[in-house]
Amino acid sequence: MKYLLISLQIILSLLLPLLAIGIIRQIKAKLQNRIGPPLMQPYFNLIKLFKKNQIFSHDSTWIFPLSSIINLSIVLILSFIVPWLPFNKSVFSGDIFLLIYLLALMRFFTIIGSIDTGSPFSSFSTSREVSLAVLLEPAIILALLALAVTFKTSDLFQIFNYAYSLDLIKIPVLILSASSLFLASVVEFSRCPVDDPTTHLELTMIHEAMIIENSGLNLAIVEYTYSLKLLLFYGLIAQCLTHCILIILNLSILLQSILCLLIIFSLLILTSLIESFSVKLSWHKVPDFIAYALTFSFLAVFAAIINGVSL
Amino acid sequence: MLNPPIIVNINSLQENLKAKLKDSKLGLISSISGQELFTLILNNNEGNASLLISNIENNNTYSALTPAIPQAHWFERYLHEMFGIFPQNHPRLKSVIFNDLGIIDYPPLRSIDQNYQHNFQRDTSFLNIEGNDLYIVPVGPVHAGVIEPGHFRISCVGENIINLEIRLGFVHRGIEKRLTQIPLTSLRFYAESVSSDSSSANALANTLALEQMLELNVSERSKYLRTLAMEIERLSMHICDLGGMATDLGFNTIAMELARLRGQVFAMGDYLTGSRYLRNFIGIGGVRKDDDLYLSKIKSLIINLKPKLTKVINFFINNQNVYQRLHNVGKLSKSLACDFNMVGVAARACNIAYDTRLIYDQGIYPATILKLADESAGDALARTKVRIKEIITSIALIENVLDNIPQGTTQLANVKCLPANCIGLGIVEAFRGELIHLIFSDENGQIKRYAIKDPSFNNWTGLAISARNNLLADFPIINKSFALSYSGHDL
Repeated sequence: MKYLLISLQIILSLLLPLLAIGIIRQIKAKLQNRIGPPLMQPYFNLIKLFKKNQIFSHDSTWIFPLSSIINLSIVLILSFIVPWLPFNKSVFSGDIFLLIYLLALMRFFTIIGSIDTGSPFSSFSTSREVSLAVLLEPAIILALLALAVTFKTSDLFQIFNYAYSLDLIKIPVLILSASSLFLASVVEFSRCPVDDPTTHLELTMIHEAMIIENSGLNLAIVEYTYSLKLLLFYGLIAQCLTHCILIILNLSILLQSILCLLIIFSLLILTSLIESFSVKLSWHKVPDFIAYALTFSFLAVFAAIINGVSL
Repeated sequence: MLNPPIIVNINSLQENLKAKLKDSKLGLISSISGQELFTLILNNNEGNASLLISNIENNNTYSALTPAIPQAHWFERYLHEMFGIFPQNHPRLKSVIFNDLGIIDYPPLRSIDQNYQHNFQRDTSFLNIEGNDLYIVPVGPVHAGVIEPGHFRISCVGENIINLEIRLGFVHRGIEKRLTQIPLTSLRFYAESVSSDSSSANALANTLALEQMLELNVSERSKYLRTLAMEIERLSMHICDLGGMATDLGFNTIAMELARLRGQVFAMGDYLTGSRYLRNFIGIGGVRKDDDLYLSKIKSLIINLKPKLTKVINFFINNQNVYQRLHNVGKLSKSLACDFNMVGVAARACNIAYDTRLIYDQGIYPATILKLADESAGDALARTKVRIKEIITSIALIENVLDNIPQGTTQLANVKCLPANCIGLGIVEAFRGELIHLIFSDENGQIKRYAIKDPSFNNWTGLAISARNNLLADFPIINKSFALSYSGHDL
């Protein structure tokens, strides 16, 4: 049974991420009176990219292709140590600190891979990415720590592995952490209103300009890495919200999984809604946006501490 | 409209111009064949234009006008590039057309002259800015969007733009030369393609200049139909630029909605002219197509469009984040806008009350009173608001034209040749601003020089100035708020 679940999880983590991107694009297209690309278009793109030649900048070294492969490996590890679906059982333990440091390592390799190309677009987008990361990381770390404090364990599988308890005081922590993680994901994945993933304007880009020199197989790897990471984040948020419901209702593992997938789907809808009706923020206003995420994190930690004291 | 030309000595041209420009605008500085310099001055108070002609005696050099008259700088570069005339003491005689491959080895517009030594050097260098923490971002000439080619070199410190260098001329087609070589009957087709997004404005300017030379009068009905074409073009392009702005702000829903509504304006153009981009419509003596049935269809389209468009535009401009992104971005002060002779939307956004529709004869103007759309802030928001105001006035004008159109003939005149030795001037407010076509004919009635000044020719300098000290990430918005033409500049 365990191996069956693990193989199911591997299949889902290969199939779902690109579908998520397809769903966002399709909903956005519908909201904008367009027919839009087919749901499976990201897969077709991936197949197309596999067939294409790779072009490397003359200034780049072995670091550039290596960094995308390392990032892919890290994100695959993450898909095992993050309980992004309720039935997802790990052979490893999913430590919060491991998650935090693996995310930082990913960012490190994205940055050196991007700088390695010597393109001016990569350089300034890297400096933007780093400035945002410095502000963003505390928000993610604190949101996860709040969970750890509340559930008195740093193992993510332990956190998201408990049943119906009517322990209502945990609900605020879960909701606040989820909100903080969602706001952080907007910055982390360069979605609107922080960055516009569909823009063609190199000068305004953050994430897209960092990967601007990738082509062919390399680009395919980068895009898959991006979408899997997006799904893991949304999975984590969905798990937090699912557990809010689990505290009140006793659900079977199948229902939990369906609920979790539904929440991921609604997060995708929310993302597309934001992207259709928001205006990209001015660069000066992005730190303010991150401050909201940070505020939610602080509130979550505060709630977690109160929770700990009251027990 | 055009006063008889005055001969001015080249040495006293600078003082003469300086005195004249106090209460009038500089239209155009160019040359006919490289032996002389002509300067077109627009006396906006009197509603006429005067032409100063000065002979260049001293071995193709003269003392540059730019040090005293900054707005002449780009014209003098163009003179150097195209005629091999060297303006001495010009602060920066940078090349205006792309010739890195060395294809053009003789000044293209100069008449062939055995004695002329064409060993001038083209300056293709960039202004180098040096210092710590400074880096340079080159953008283009091939851009990610489907736009025309142009190279921008942006020197930045951190996220701030210190200097912007614009290099154009990648789509130089030699259109001014070509216009002097082709038969009169096909002239308008070439004139329309100067900048195809303002094809009806170019056709109108061409037609006005030729009609002035031929001393032809056109019927009132033709004037109304021409105005209709002009306003449909203005409406269509302003909606397009507004949609482009929404795209650049990441406001994709509005961008798509505006693109959809622009389709209705295209349909109006299609009904009127048989072409969505209003080509092949305005010609000497009248217009090519005139059908009352289609006018009523345009009427129903505009009535349908108006409420929908107003709703979308209001949703866009009243958005708080749009305001935040555009307010105080790409600011151009009024004094600089005057110094560098901004025209059109960019000028009106700086509180310069200049719209050639109020002054010069074109279509039903200036007889029909028009409300000037102006703003005072001079930033990207002001330029966007000017566009919105002009959309509203264009809709009102289209309705007005459709209600009041008189009966009459609109047949095109069959003209075989032009009178000898005369000059024709066409000034038209294209959607970007003042567009000038100036035609000289020789003793055989052939066109010897066809000079075009697109509004973008003036305004590219404005973009370079207003980008300074803004965020690098805001540059696309500033660029879009000017919405300039590359092909109109490169000719």
